[in-house]
Amino acid sequence: MNAHTPLRIGSSYVAALRAKLPHAVLEERWQTDRQATITVKLEALPEAVRTLYYVHDGWFSTMAGNDERGLNGTYGLYYVLSMGGAEKCHMVIHAQVPEDKPEFPAVTPLVPAAVWYEREVRDMFGLEPVGLPDARRLVLPDDWPDGLYPLRKDSMDYRFRPAPTTDAENYPFINDAKQETTVVPLGPLHVTSDEPGHFRLFVDGEDIIDADYRMFYVHRGMEKLAETRMGYHDVTFLADRVCGICGYAHSVAYANSVENALGIVVPERGQAIRSILLETERLHSHLLNLGLACHFVGFDSGFMQFFRVREKTMMLAEMLTGHRKTYSMNLIGGVRRDILAEQKLTTLKTLGELRCEVRRLVDILLSTPNIGGRVTNVGRLDPKVARDHSPVGPVLRGSGFRRDTRADHPFAGYLSGATPINVQTGCDVLSRTLVRVSEVFDSMAIIENLLNDTPAGPILTEDFTYTPYKFALGFTEAPRGEDIHWSMLGDNQKLYRWRCRASTYNNWPVLRHMLRGNTVSDAPLIVASIDPCYSCTDRVTVVDVKKSTTKTVAYKEMERYCRERTSSPLK
Amino acid sequence: MFKLLKEIFRTGQATALYPFAPPQTIKDSRGKPEHDPVKCIACAACTGACPANALSMKTDVAAGTRTWAINYGQCVFCGRCQEVCPTNAIALTTEFELAVARKDDLITRATFKLAYCRTCGAAFSTLKEVDYVARLLGALAETPKEAERIRAHAEICPACKRRLDVEEMAQANPVRQMECL
Repeated sequence: MNAHTPLRIGSSYVAALRAKLPHAVLEERWQTDRQATITVKLEALPEAVRTLYYVHDGWFSTMAGNDERGLNGTYGLYYVLSMGGAEKCHMVIHAQVPEDKPEFPAVTPLVPAAVWYEREVRDMFGLEPVGLPDARRLVLPDDWPDGLYPLRKDSMDYRFRPAPTTDAENYPFINDAKQETTVVPLGPLHVTSDEPGHFRLFVDGEDIIDADYRMFYVHRGMEKLAETRMGYHDVTFLADRVCGICGYAHSVAYANSVENALGIVVPERGQAIRSILLETERLHSHLLNLGLACHFVGFDSGFMQFFRVREKTMMLAEMLTGHRKTYSMNLIGGVRRDILAEQKLTTLKTLGELRCEVRRLVDILLSTPNIGGRVTNVGRLDPKVARDHSPVGPVLRGSGFRRDTRADHPFAGYLSGATPINVQTGCDVLSRTLVRVSEVFDSMAIIENLLNDTPAGPILTEDFTYTPYKFALGFTEAPRGEDIHWSMLGDNQKLYRWRCRASTYNNWPVLRHMLRGNTVSDAPLIVASIDPCYSCTDRVTVVDVKKSTTKTVAYKEMERYCRERTSSPLK
Repeated sequence: MFKLLKEIFRTGQATALYPFAPPQTIKDSRGKPEHDPVKCIACAACTGACPANALSMKTDVAAGTRTWAINYGQCVFCGRCQEVCPTNAIALTTEFELAVARKDDLITRATFKLAYCRTCGAAFSTLKEVDYVARLLGALAETPKEAERIRAHAEICPACKRRLDVEEMAQANPVRQMECL
């Protein structure tokens, strides 16, 4: 007899869907106690997602397209919602798109948060979202041939690079302004750090009326690479390299997704070590962002002080994992390196020093006379806009929403109810910065508690069997917000599909709303306040688009203007 | 302003003089993997474990060699090779200064002689790997004669082993044994 009765947290949502859409719910499958995949009829898809999103306090986490023609003759669409209501769980709405008619009713008109996902699934799988107003490409470059869909199983080898079809710049940028505006192109360099992204600011004098941007210039084809070239147990190392700042969060999210799919129970100590390292990563990432915040308001001495202190966290990471970045610590089933007694003592000592130093620096930063004027009420993210677009992490918490994956959906070593959530209600650059400041101190406390309380024991389990076509979600709270991975195993020791969504992917779409109504000189500061990460967002195809740079405001010039606020480059 | 100046004086010099002073390394750091060709038996366990395909193994039957190679340009310093190596022939060091003037210098190779099957004469492994297996299993033997038999058996290729096993079973007359049962 099975002594373990499944809890099935979230059953009430399934029941509500069945009541709301009788005959539309075809099947429910539970991956874990808190994860269900509900198959609905294709025409009921938008209404099912809308019901969970707006009626039951669901938030849009990710959407995975999947070429399942080899399995059941259809394309699968998996809309993932993170439920914030009474029953904290993940609900996945699954619909099947027939092979001979590759189109589906778009969810975006009802739930705006789905817009990037539906544009991406059109690019990568050739599935047409009917009713989606935005007909532009998202991920594929403008010179990519029509009809070549990289993630279809029969389309192309992962090393194939098609010849460009055009040299012309033909991406239309959207401007909703009513009055006449001047166009300020920024990029292909990024306005806050040397990474590629192209911004168009539509300005009237010095005021930003609207903004649009184009990303994905450096897609690296990681999802395709993972599915074709790597074994499922090697992908943890690839996931480490999704991001140069918060790669470990991806590695844990990926490992979690496979562990959830196969029902692997990771030993307690392995889980705790994962959490300790995730918090170490958050420390260095937040200190980096605080340093950049100093830099962009023209306080470069503060920037250097924060980077000096941040170095301690990098040394900590190197001691605990062997590397400053790309920790390479995860295997499916646990971690590879234990924390020894001597390392524990050094960590506790370093954290003590770090706490004093960060407190002094934050004091200096907040008492700098001109800081308040630069960051208060700048780059407002209206809570209503946030609710419609599902941003994540400090961007969302800075607008007053109590959402943190560590507390809502405890994973790794985070105990239920033990993780504090830091919220600010100012909705501006200052609020987002203050959320990060509080999280730095919380991270230190979490590491200390885990180091002191975790009993000795195994750190890795190999007691599991690779089972074909199992799938599940894995998630972490990275420094920039929730990272969520959806993995389906194949039948050849590889993955059938890996959908990796980084936190910044959900934060880009709201940036437009944050830029509106501010001045040009605040633009870099606002962009920096979402702590953007291009490499995270850009995963899918290596491209090099030739850009006209003649009209572009040089990055250095823009940055100088933001710091000094004299001699506008627009005049 | 005063607080900031105080902080700056408190800190003093924060940066090291590297490269004019020795680098500050941590003993737990994962750096360049060093290969010991004397210990290596060319079993290819590391090449299977390497997630980055930095390790490779190529067999040249005409020359009678198998060549192991590491490309430091592709290595991600994860240390999976060290974990799976049965003879501790590869281990990570803390060295990290790997810049070279020519790309070819990033590749280190080790060449091993092939072993030939004592029955059919086909190349099937390396001499060192066969020797390693024979010594490992031979240590369990109770008599020198038994050790010699194990060594002879190790020098037979998998295809011949299967064929010989079938012949041996045929001689043992399994039909009679079934009747006894």
